[in-house]
Amino acid sequence: MREIYLDYAASSPVDPAVIDAMRESLERDYANPASLHAPGRRAHAAIEAARVAVAARIDAPAREVVFTSGATEANNLALKGVIEAAGLRGAHLVTSKIEHKSVLDPARVLAAAGATVTYVDCERDGRVDPERIAAAIGPATALVSLQLVNNETGAIQDIASVAAVCRGRGVPLHVDAAQAVGKLPLSVRGLGIDLCSLSAHKVCGPKGVGALFVARGVRLRPQQSGGEQERSLRAGTEATHQIVGMGKAFELADPAREAPGLEALRDRLWSGLERIGDVRRNGSTAHRAPHLLNVSFPGVEGESLRFALRDLAVSAGSACAAASPEASHVLVGMGLGEALAASSLRFSVGRFTTEEEIDLAAARVAEEVARLRSLAPTPPVWCSV
Amino acid sequence: MEYSSEVVRRFDSPDGAGELPRGTSGLVSGEAEDRTLQVWVRFQLQVTDGVIHCARFRVFGCPHTVAAASRVAEWLTGRAVESARTLDVAAIGAELGVPVEKLGKLLRIEDALERCLVELDHRDV
Repeated sequence: MREIYLDYAASSPVDPAVIDAMRESLERDYANPASLHAPGRRAHAAIEAARVAVAARIDAPAREVVFTSGATEANNLALKGVIEAAGLRGAHLVTSKIEHKSVLDPARVLAAAGATVTYVDCERDGRVDPERIAAAIGPATALVSLQLVNNETGAIQDIASVAAVCRGRGVPLHVDAAQAVGKLPLSVRGLGIDLCSLSAHKVCGPKGVGALFVARGVRLRPQQSGGEQERSLRAGTEATHQIVGMGKAFELADPAREAPGLEALRDRLWSGLERIGDVRRNGSTAHRAPHLLNVSFPGVEGESLRFALRDLAVSAGSACAAASPEASHVLVGMGLGEALAASSLRFSVGRFTTEEEIDLAAARVAEEVARLRSLAPTPPVWCSV
Repeated sequence: MEYSSEVVRRFDSPDGAGELPRGTSGLVSGEAEDRTLQVWVRFQLQVTDGVIHCARFRVFGCPHTVAAASRVAEWLTGRAVESARTLDVAAIGAELGVPVEKLGKLLRIEDALERCLVELDHRDV
Protein backbone atom coordinates (compact mmCIF):
# COMPACT_ATOMS: atom_id res chain seq x y z
CA MET A 1 0.00 0.00 0.00
CA ARG A 2 1.49 3.34 -1.00
CA GLU A 3 1.90 6.00 1.63
CA ILE A 4 -0.58 8.85 1.40
CA TYR A 5 0.27 11.98 3.34
CA LEU A 6 -2.68 14.12 4.36
CA ASP A 7 -1.22 15.65 7.50
CA TYR A 8 0.16 18.97 6.26
CA ALA A 9 -1.33 20.79 9.24
CA ALA A 10 0.95 18.74 11.49
CA SER A 11 4.05 19.19 9.36
CA SER A 12 4.75 19.37 5.66
CA PRO A 13 7.32 17.99 3.22
CA VAL A 14 10.16 20.45 2.76
CA ASP A 15 10.02 22.09 -0.66
CA PRO A 16 13.07 21.22 -2.84
CA ALA A 17 13.72 24.95 -3.33
CA VAL A 18 13.88 25.34 0.45
CA ILE A 19 16.31 22.43 0.73
CA ASP A 20 18.52 24.04 -1.92
CA ALA A 21 18.48 27.39 -0.11
CA MET A 22 19.31 25.72 3.21
CA ARG A 23 22.12 23.65 1.71
CA GLU A 24 23.67 26.75 0.17
CA SER A 25 23.33 28.57 3.46
CA LEU A 26 24.95 25.74 5.41
CA GLU A 27 27.93 25.89 3.07
CA ARG A 28 28.10 29.68 2.83
CA ASP A 29 26.82 31.09 6.12
CA TYR A 30 28.97 29.18 8.58
CA ALA A 31 30.16 32.24 10.49
CA ASN A 32 28.49 33.75 13.51
CA PRO A 33 26.04 36.36 12.22
CA ALA A 34 26.99 38.64 15.11
CA SER A 35 30.63 38.80 13.95
CA LEU A 36 31.78 41.92 12.16
CA HIS A 37 34.14 40.18 9.72
CA ALA A 38 33.10 39.44 6.15
CA PRO A 39 31.87 35.86 6.69
CA GLY A 40 29.87 37.07 9.70
CA ARG A 41 28.32 39.89 7.67
CA ARG A 42 27.40 37.35 5.01
CA ALA A 43 25.52 35.22 7.53
CA HIS A 44 23.88 38.34 8.95
CA ALA A 45 22.76 39.41 5.48
CA ALA A 46 21.21 35.98 4.87
CA ILE A 47 19.18 36.31 8.06
CA GLU A 48 18.04 39.81 7.18
CA ALA A 49 16.97 38.71 3.70
CA ALA A 50 14.89 35.96 5.29
CA ARG A 51 13.42 38.45 7.74
CA VAL A 52 12.27 40.59 4.82
CA ALA A 53 10.63 37.57 3.15
CA VAL A 54 8.83 36.52 6.34
CA ALA A 55 7.69 40.08 7.04
CA ALA A 56 6.44 40.48 3.47
CA ARG A 57 4.21 37.41 3.80
CA ILE A 58 2.40 38.92 6.82
CA ASP A 59 2.63 42.55 5.71
CA ALA A 60 4.81 43.65 8.61
CA PRO A 61 7.91 45.80 8.89
CA ALA A 62 10.92 43.46 8.77
CA ARG A 63 12.48 44.92 11.92
CA GLU A 64 9.44 43.73 13.91
CA VAL A 65 10.01 40.04 13.14
CA VAL A 66 11.83 38.03 15.83
CA PHE A 67 13.07 34.57 14.87
CA THR A 68 12.42 31.74 17.34
CA SER A 69 12.68 27.96 17.35
CA GLY A 70 9.07 27.62 16.20
CA ALA A 71 5.51 28.74 16.85
CA THR A 72 5.49 27.06 20.27
CA GLU A 73 8.37 29.24 21.43
CA ALA A 74 6.75 32.25 19.78
CA ASN A 75 3.51 31.60 21.68
CA ASN A 76 5.41 31.18 24.93
CA LEU A 77 7.35 34.37 24.33
CA ALA A 78 4.21 36.31 23.50
CA LEU A 79 2.12 35.17 26.45
CA LYS A 80 4.77 35.00 29.14
CA GLY A 81 6.62 38.00 27.77
CA VAL A 82 3.62 40.34 27.80
CA ILE A 83 2.03 39.11 31.03
CA GLU A 84 5.36 39.21 32.90
CA ALA A 85 6.08 42.70 31.55
CA ALA A 86 2.65 43.70 32.88
CA GLY A 87 3.64 42.60 36.37
CA LEU A 88 2.52 38.95 36.27
CA ARG A 89 0.56 38.81 39.56
CA GLY A 90 -2.90 40.10 38.85
CA ALA A 91 -2.23 40.64 35.17
CA HIS A 92 -5.12 39.27 33.15
CA LEU A 93 -4.96 37.14 29.99
CA VAL A 94 -7.97 36.43 27.78
CA THR A 95 -7.84 33.46 25.44
CA SER A 96 -10.21 30.74 24.20
CA LYS A 97 -10.79 27.14 25.24
CA ILE A 98 -9.93 25.86 21.78
CA GLU A 99 -6.41 27.24 21.44
CA HIS A 100 -3.39 25.11 20.64
CA LYS A 101 -1.63 23.45 23.57
CA SER A 102 1.28 25.85 23.08
CA VAL A 103 -1.03 28.67 24.18
CA LEU A 104 -3.08 26.79 26.78
CA ASP A 105 -0.05 25.41 28.62
CA PRO A 106 1.79 28.75 28.99
CA ALA A 107 -1.55 30.23 30.13
CA ARG A 108 -1.75 27.56 32.86
CA VAL A 109 1.85 28.28 33.89
CA LEU A 110 1.05 32.00 34.14
CA ALA A 111 -2.10 31.30 36.16
CA ALA A 112 -0.08 29.15 38.56
CA ALA A 113 2.37 32.04 38.94
CA GLY A 114 -0.34 34.52 39.93
CA ALA A 115 -1.80 35.85 36.67
CA THR A 116 -5.50 35.48 36.00
CA VAL A 117 -6.72 33.80 32.84
CA THR A 118 -10.16 33.81 31.24
CA TYR A 119 -10.87 31.01 28.75
CA VAL A 120 -13.66 32.06 26.43
CA ASP A 121 -16.04 29.45 24.97
CA CYS A 122 -16.47 28.94 21.24
CA GLU A 123 -19.70 28.47 19.31
CA ARG A 124 -20.74 25.11 17.86
CA ASP A 125 -19.04 25.97 14.57
CA GLY A 126 -15.69 26.40 16.31
CA ARG A 127 -15.63 30.18 16.03
CA VAL A 128 -15.24 32.54 18.94
CA ASP A 129 -17.76 35.36 19.12
CA PRO A 130 -15.81 38.65 19.43
CA GLU A 131 -18.52 39.77 21.87
CA ARG A 132 -17.34 37.08 24.28
CA ILE A 133 -13.82 38.50 24.07
CA ALA A 134 -15.16 42.01 24.65
CA ALA A 135 -17.11 40.81 27.68
CA ALA A 136 -14.04 39.08 29.13
CA ILE A 137 -11.75 42.12 28.92
CA GLY A 138 -11.40 43.99 32.21
CA PRO A 139 -9.25 46.75 33.65
CA ALA A 140 -6.37 44.33 34.38
CA THR A 141 -6.39 42.66 30.96
CA ALA A 142 -2.86 42.80 29.60
CA LEU A 143 -3.27 40.54 26.57
CA VAL A 144 -5.81 38.79 24.36
CA SER A 145 -4.58 35.69 22.51
CA LEU A 146 -6.56 33.99 19.75
CA GLN A 147 -5.70 31.69 16.86
CA LEU A 148 -6.38 32.91 13.34
CA VAL A 149 -7.05 29.41 11.98
CA ASN A 150 -7.90 26.59 14.34
CA ASN A 151 -5.41 23.77 13.86
CA GLU A 152 -8.02 21.02 14.23
CA THR A 153 -11.07 22.31 12.37
CA GLY A 154 -9.68 25.03 10.12
CA ALA A 155 -12.26 27.51 11.44
CA ILE A 156 -11.14 31.08 10.79
CA GLN A 157 -11.64 33.45 13.70
CA ASP A 158 -12.94 36.95 13.19
CA ILE A 159 -9.63 38.56 14.04
CA ALA A 160 -10.56 41.91 12.48
CA SER A 161 -13.46 42.31 14.92
CA VAL A 162 -11.43 41.04 17.87
CA ALA A 163 -8.63 43.46 16.95
CA ALA A 164 -11.12 46.32 16.85
CA VAL A 165 -12.36 45.35 20.32
CA CYS A 166 -8.80 45.16 21.64
CA ARG A 167 -7.81 48.46 20.07
CA GLY A 168 -10.85 50.13 21.60
CA ARG A 169 -9.92 48.83 25.05
CA GLY A 170 -6.19 49.46 24.72
CA VAL A 171 -5.28 45.77 25.05
CA PRO A 172 -2.60 44.17 22.85
CA LEU A 173 -3.72 41.27 20.66
CA HIS A 174 -1.63 38.15 20.04
CA VAL A 175 -2.59 35.91 17.13
CA ASP A 176 -1.24 32.42 16.54
CA ALA A 177 -1.18 32.30 12.74
CA ALA A 178 0.78 29.06 12.34
CA GLN A 179 -2.03 27.45 10.29
CA ALA A 180 -2.91 30.57 8.33
CA VAL A 181 0.29 31.42 6.50
CA GLY A 182 0.17 30.49 2.85
CA LYS A 183 -3.51 29.63 3.14
CA LEU A 184 -5.05 33.08 3.69
CA PRO A 185 -3.84 36.56 2.92
CA LEU A 186 -2.50 37.96 6.17
CA SER A 187 -1.79 41.57 7.01
CA VAL A 188 -0.84 42.20 10.62
CA ARG A 189 -0.85 45.93 9.84
CA GLY A 190 -4.26 45.79 8.20
CA LEU A 191 -5.81 43.69 10.95
CA GLY A 192 -4.20 45.59 13.80
CA ILE A 193 -2.41 42.59 15.32
CA ASP A 194 0.25 43.37 17.93
CA LEU A 195 1.93 39.98 18.17
CA CYS A 196 1.76 37.13 15.67
CA SER A 197 3.25 33.62 15.94
CA LEU A 198 4.54 31.90 12.82
CA SER A 199 5.96 28.50 11.93
CA ALA A 200 8.10 27.36 8.99
CA HIS A 201 7.33 23.64 8.91
CA LYS A 202 3.62 24.12 8.23
CA VAL A 203 4.49 25.77 4.90
CA CYS A 204 7.00 23.33 3.42
CA GLY A 205 9.84 24.80 5.42
CA PRO A 206 12.12 23.20 8.01
CA LYS A 207 11.18 22.26 11.57
CA GLY A 208 12.91 24.08 14.40
CA VAL A 209 12.34 27.63 13.24
CA GLY A 210 9.50 30.10 13.58
CA ALA A 211 9.00 33.74 14.35
CA LEU A 212 7.09 36.17 16.49
CA PHE A 213 5.97 39.46 15.03
CA VAL A 214 6.19 42.06 17.78
CA ALA A 215 4.77 45.45 16.87
CA ARG A 216 6.80 48.42 17.92
CA GLY A 217 5.77 49.65 21.36
CA VAL A 218 4.60 46.28 22.70
CA ARG A 219 6.26 45.61 26.07
CA LEU A 220 7.67 42.13 26.17
CA ARG A 221 9.95 40.45 28.68
CA PRO A 222 12.51 38.13 27.04
CA GLN A 223 12.29 34.51 28.13
CA GLN A 224 15.96 33.72 27.84
CA SER A 225 19.14 35.65 28.40
CA GLY A 226 22.68 35.37 27.11
CA GLY A 227 22.87 37.68 24.12
CA GLU A 228 21.40 40.66 22.35
CA GLN A 229 20.22 38.83 19.26
CA GLU A 230 16.77 39.48 17.83
CA ARG A 231 16.31 42.91 19.45
CA SER A 232 17.35 41.31 22.76
CA LEU A 233 14.08 39.37 22.73
CA ARG A 234 15.58 36.00 21.89
CA ALA A 235 19.13 35.42 23.06
CA GLY A 236 21.28 32.88 21.25
CA THR A 237 23.14 32.62 17.97
CA GLU A 238 20.56 32.58 15.20
CA ALA A 239 20.04 29.23 13.44
CA THR A 240 21.05 30.81 10.17
CA HIS A 241 20.29 28.00 7.73
CA GLN A 242 16.94 27.32 9.42
CA ILE A 243 16.03 30.97 9.15
CA VAL A 244 17.09 31.01 5.50
CA GLY A 245 14.83 27.98 4.95
CA MET A 246 11.94 29.77 6.61
CA GLY A 247 12.51 32.82 4.45
CA LYS A 248 12.39 30.72 1.30
CA ALA A 249 9.32 28.81 2.51
CA PHE A 250 7.46 32.05 3.25
CA GLU A 251 8.47 33.48 -0.11
CA LEU A 252 6.88 30.44 -1.79
CA ALA A 253 3.78 30.29 0.44
CA ASP A 254 1.55 32.51 -1.64
CA PRO A 255 -2.14 32.00 -0.81
CA ALA A 256 -3.27 33.61 -4.06
CA ARG A 257 -1.45 30.86 -5.95
CA GLU A 258 -2.05 27.91 -3.64
CA ALA A 259 -5.37 28.34 -1.83
CA PRO A 260 -7.69 27.61 -4.80
CA GLY A 261 -5.96 24.29 -5.50
CA LEU A 262 -6.01 23.31 -1.82
CA GLU A 263 -9.67 24.16 -1.57
CA ALA A 264 -10.47 22.01 -4.60
CA LEU A 265 -8.59 19.06 -3.10
CA ARG A 266 -10.29 19.49 0.27
CA ASP A 267 -13.73 19.64 -1.35
CA ARG A 268 -12.96 16.60 -3.48
CA LEU A 269 -12.04 14.70 -0.34
CA TRP A 270 -15.22 15.79 1.43
CA SER A 271 -17.29 14.65 -1.57
CA GLY A 272 -15.66 11.24 -1.34
CA LEU A 273 -16.15 10.95 2.41
CA GLU A 274 -19.71 12.23 2.29
CA ARG A 275 -20.62 9.28 0.08
CA ILE A 276 -19.81 6.91 2.99
CA GLY A 277 -22.98 8.13 4.69
CA ASP A 278 -23.56 9.17 8.31
CA VAL A 279 -20.44 11.31 8.48
CA ARG A 280 -20.21 14.75 10.03
CA ARG A 281 -18.01 17.70 9.05
CA ASN A 282 -16.79 19.70 12.03
CA GLY A 283 -16.21 23.43 12.08
CA SER A 284 -17.51 26.44 10.25
CA THR A 285 -18.24 25.89 6.57
CA ALA A 286 -18.51 29.60 5.82
CA HIS A 287 -15.25 30.62 7.49
CA ARG A 288 -12.63 27.92 7.05
CA ALA A 289 -9.10 27.52 5.83
CA PRO A 290 -8.70 25.83 2.43
CA HIS A 291 -6.41 22.99 3.55
CA LEU A 292 -8.21 21.46 6.53
CA LEU A 293 -11.11 19.04 6.85
CA ASN A 294 -12.25 17.57 10.15
CA VAL A 295 -14.74 14.71 9.95
CA SER A 296 -16.46 12.53 12.56
CA PHE A 297 -17.57 8.97 11.86
CA PRO A 298 -20.42 8.14 14.25
CA GLY A 299 -20.43 4.56 15.50
CA VAL A 300 -16.73 4.02 14.81
CA GLU A 301 -14.31 3.76 17.71
CA GLY A 302 -11.56 6.34 17.37
CA GLU A 303 -8.45 4.31 18.15
CA SER A 304 -9.59 1.47 15.93
CA LEU A 305 -10.26 3.90 13.09
CA ARG A 306 -6.82 5.46 13.35
CA PHE A 307 -5.14 2.07 13.60
CA ALA A 308 -7.13 0.65 10.70
CA LEU A 309 -5.99 3.62 8.61
CA ARG A 310 -2.34 3.39 9.62
CA ASP A 311 -1.30 3.46 5.97
CA LEU A 312 -2.92 6.88 5.70
CA ALA A 313 -1.09 9.79 7.33
CA VAL A 314 -3.89 11.77 8.96
CA SER A 315 -4.34 13.12 12.48
CA ALA A 316 -6.80 12.69 15.29
CA GLY A 317 -7.07 16.29 16.35
CA SER A 318 -3.78 18.03 16.88
CA ALA A 319 -0.66 15.99 16.11
CA CYS A 320 1.01 17.53 19.15
CA ALA A 321 -1.58 15.68 21.28
CA ALA A 322 -1.78 12.49 19.23
CA ALA A 323 -0.18 10.33 21.94
CA SER A 324 -2.88 11.40 24.37
CA PRO A 325 -5.98 9.17 24.57
CA GLU A 326 -8.30 12.04 25.54
CA ALA A 327 -10.75 13.32 22.98
CA SER A 328 -9.88 16.62 21.32
CA HIS A 329 -10.52 19.61 23.62
CA VAL A 330 -11.45 21.60 20.53
CA LEU A 331 -14.20 19.22 19.39
CA VAL A 332 -15.48 18.72 22.93
CA GLY A 333 -15.44 22.52 23.30
CA MET A 334 -17.65 22.69 20.20
CA GLY A 335 -20.19 20.42 21.88
CA LEU A 336 -19.31 16.98 20.49
CA GLY A 337 -19.60 14.02 22.87
CA GLU A 338 -16.49 12.05 23.80
CA ALA A 339 -17.15 9.13 21.43
CA LEU A 340 -17.96 11.31 18.45
CA ALA A 341 -14.96 13.55 19.11
CA ALA A 342 -12.74 10.48 19.38
CA SER A 343 -14.07 9.16 16.06
CA SER A 344 -12.90 12.31 14.26
CA LEU A 345 -10.05 12.60 11.81
CA ARG A 346 -8.26 15.70 10.64
CA PHE A 347 -7.26 15.63 6.99
CA SER A 348 -4.97 18.37 5.73
CA VAL A 349 -3.79 18.80 2.17
CA GLY A 350 -0.80 20.68 0.86
CA ARG A 351 1.43 21.66 -2.01
CA PHE A 352 2.28 18.14 -3.14
CA THR A 353 -1.11 16.46 -2.63
CA THR A 354 -2.61 14.98 -5.79
CA GLU A 355 -6.20 14.22 -6.82
CA GLU A 356 -5.25 10.56 -7.11
CA GLU A 357 -4.12 10.55 -3.47
CA ILE A 358 -7.38 12.20 -2.41
CA ASP A 359 -9.43 9.55 -4.22
CA LEU A 360 -7.35 6.70 -2.78
CA ALA A 361 -7.65 8.16 0.71
CA ALA A 362 -11.42 8.53 0.45
CA ALA A 363 -11.71 4.94 -0.74
CA ARG A 364 -9.52 3.63 2.11
CA VAL A 365 -11.52 5.54 4.71
CA ALA A 366 -14.79 4.27 3.23
CA GLU A 367 -13.49 0.69 3.33
CA GLU A 368 -12.36 0.83 6.96
CA VAL A 369 -15.37 2.75 8.25
CA ALA A 370 -17.64 0.11 6.68
CA ARG A 371 -15.56 -2.71 8.15
CA LEU A 372 -15.50 -1.23 11.66
CA ARG A 373 -19.20 -0.39 11.56
CA SER A 374 -19.88 -3.99 10.59
CA LEU A 375 -18.29 -5.09 13.89
CA ALA A 376 -21.06 -3.24 15.75
CA PRO A 377 -23.93 -2.46 13.36
CA THR A 378 -26.28 -1.36 16.17
CA PRO A 379 -24.13 -0.13 19.03
CA PRO A 380 -25.59 1.84 21.97
CA VAL A 381 -26.48 5.45 21.18
CA TRP A 382 -23.55 6.83 23.18
CA CYS A 383 -21.13 5.30 20.63
CA SER A 384 -22.34 7.83 18.06
CA VAL A 385 -22.60 11.06 20.07
CA MET B 1 0.44 2.53 21.83
CA GLU B 2 1.91 -0.92 21.27
CA TYR B 3 0.16 -3.51 19.11
CA SER B 4 1.57 -7.03 19.00
CA SER B 5 1.59 -8.88 15.70
CA GLU B 6 -1.22 -11.12 17.02
CA VAL B 7 -3.34 -8.09 17.90
CA VAL B 8 -2.71 -6.68 14.44
CA ARG B 9 -3.62 -9.98 12.77
CA ARG B 10 -6.83 -10.42 14.73
CA PHE B 11 -7.83 -6.75 14.39
CA ASP B 12 -7.34 -6.87 10.63
CA SER B 13 -9.24 -10.15 10.38
CA PRO B 14 -11.34 -10.67 13.50
CA ASP B 15 -12.48 -14.28 13.35
CA GLY B 16 -15.71 -14.83 15.24
CA ALA B 17 -17.11 -11.37 14.57
CA GLY B 18 -20.77 -11.38 13.64
CA GLU B 19 -24.04 -12.82 14.81
CA LEU B 20 -25.63 -16.23 14.91
CA PRO B 21 -28.77 -16.55 12.78
CA ARG B 22 -32.02 -15.72 14.50
CA GLY B 23 -33.66 -18.92 15.68
CA THR B 24 -30.40 -20.81 16.22
CA SER B 25 -31.09 -23.54 18.75
CA GLY B 26 -29.40 -23.22 22.15
CA LEU B 27 -28.65 -19.52 21.67
CA VAL B 28 -27.75 -17.32 24.65
CA SER B 29 -26.42 -13.80 24.58
CA GLY B 30 -25.01 -11.21 26.92
CA GLU B 31 -23.58 -7.75 26.62
CA ALA B 32 -21.56 -5.31 28.68
CA GLU B 33 -20.28 -1.78 28.26
CA ASP B 34 -18.25 0.96 29.87
CA ARG B 35 -19.05 4.33 28.44
CA THR B 36 -16.12 5.98 30.17
CA LEU B 37 -13.73 3.50 28.59
CA GLN B 38 -15.61 3.67 25.27
CA VAL B 39 -16.20 -0.05 25.01
CA TRP B 40 -19.27 -2.17 24.28
CA VAL B 41 -19.30 -5.93 23.74
CA ARG B 42 -22.02 -8.47 22.96
CA PHE B 43 -21.40 -12.20 22.88
CA GLN B 44 -23.65 -14.94 21.53
CA LEU B 45 -23.08 -18.59 22.30
CA GLN B 46 -24.72 -21.66 20.80
CA VAL B 47 -24.82 -24.21 23.61
CA THR B 48 -26.18 -27.72 23.46
CA ASP B 49 -25.55 -30.58 25.86
CA GLY B 50 -23.25 -28.45 27.96
CA VAL B 51 -20.90 -27.67 25.09
CA ILE B 52 -20.35 -24.32 23.32
CA HIS B 53 -20.56 -25.14 19.63
CA CYS B 54 -20.18 -21.62 18.34
CA ALA B 55 -19.33 -18.16 19.70
CA ARG B 56 -19.89 -14.85 17.95
CA PHE B 57 -19.30 -11.27 19.07
CA ARG B 58 -20.09 -7.66 18.27
CA VAL B 59 -17.73 -4.99 19.53
CA PHE B 60 -17.25 -1.24 19.68
CA GLY B 61 -13.78 -0.85 21.05
CA CYS B 62 -10.08 -0.36 20.52
CA PRO B 63 -7.93 -2.76 18.46
CA HIS B 64 -6.89 -4.66 21.60
CA THR B 65 -10.51 -5.23 22.59
CA VAL B 66 -11.41 -6.38 19.07
CA ALA B 67 -8.46 -8.79 19.04
CA ALA B 68 -9.22 -10.11 22.52
CA ALA B 69 -12.90 -10.66 21.66
CA SER B 70 -11.81 -12.64 18.60
CA ARG B 71 -9.40 -14.75 20.67
CA VAL B 72 -12.06 -15.37 23.34
CA ALA B 73 -14.57 -16.48 20.69
CA GLU B 74 -12.02 -18.93 19.39
CA TRP B 75 -11.15 -20.12 22.92
CA LEU B 76 -14.81 -20.74 23.74
CA THR B 77 -15.67 -22.72 20.64
CA GLY B 78 -15.88 -26.46 21.36
CA ARG B 79 -15.38 -25.92 25.09
CA ALA B 80 -17.57 -27.33 27.87
CA VAL B 81 -19.64 -24.65 29.60
CA GLU B 82 -18.09 -25.44 32.98
CA SER B 83 -14.67 -24.89 31.49
CA ALA B 84 -15.83 -21.60 29.92
CA ARG B 85 -16.63 -20.33 33.39
CA THR B 86 -12.90 -20.33 34.09
CA LEU B 87 -12.15 -17.81 31.34
CA ASP B 88 -9.39 -15.47 32.49
CA VAL B 89 -9.46 -12.50 30.17
CA ALA B 90 -6.34 -11.07 31.78
CA ALA B 91 -4.48 -14.21 30.68
CA ILE B 92 -5.88 -13.78 27.16
CA GLY B 93 -4.69 -10.16 27.25
CA ALA B 94 -1.22 -11.25 28.35
CA GLU B 95 -1.12 -13.88 25.59
CA LEU B 96 -1.92 -11.18 23.03
CA GLY B 97 0.50 -8.68 24.53
CA VAL B 98 -2.24 -6.21 25.44
CA PRO B 99 -0.91 -3.31 27.56
CA VAL B 100 -2.09 -3.52 31.18
CA GLU B 101 -3.86 -0.16 30.95
CA LYS B 102 -6.28 -1.78 28.50
CA LEU B 103 -7.33 -4.51 30.96
CA GLY B 104 -10.40 -2.54 32.08
CA LYS B 105 -11.73 -2.67 28.53
CA LEU B 106 -11.01 -6.39 28.20
CA LEU B 107 -12.92 -7.11 31.41
CA ARG B 108 -16.12 -6.08 29.63
CA ILE B 109 -15.64 -9.18 27.47
CA GLU B 110 -15.62 -11.25 30.65
CA ASP B 111 -18.77 -9.45 31.84
CA ALA B 112 -20.58 -10.14 28.55
CA LEU B 113 -19.64 -13.80 28.71
CA GLU B 114 -20.77 -14.01 32.33
CA ARG B 115 -24.19 -12.67 31.27
CA CYS B 116 -24.38 -15.35 28.58
CA LEU B 117 -23.73 -18.00 31.21
CA VAL B 118 -26.28 -16.50 33.61
CA GLU B 119 -28.89 -16.67 30.83
CA LEU B 120 -27.86 -20.25 30.19
CA ASP B 121 -28.22 -21.13 33.89
CA HIS B 122 -31.74 -19.63 33.92
CA ARG B 123 -32.65 -21.50 30.76
CA ASP B 124 -31.45 -24.79 32.12
CA VAL B 125 -33.27 -24.48 35.46
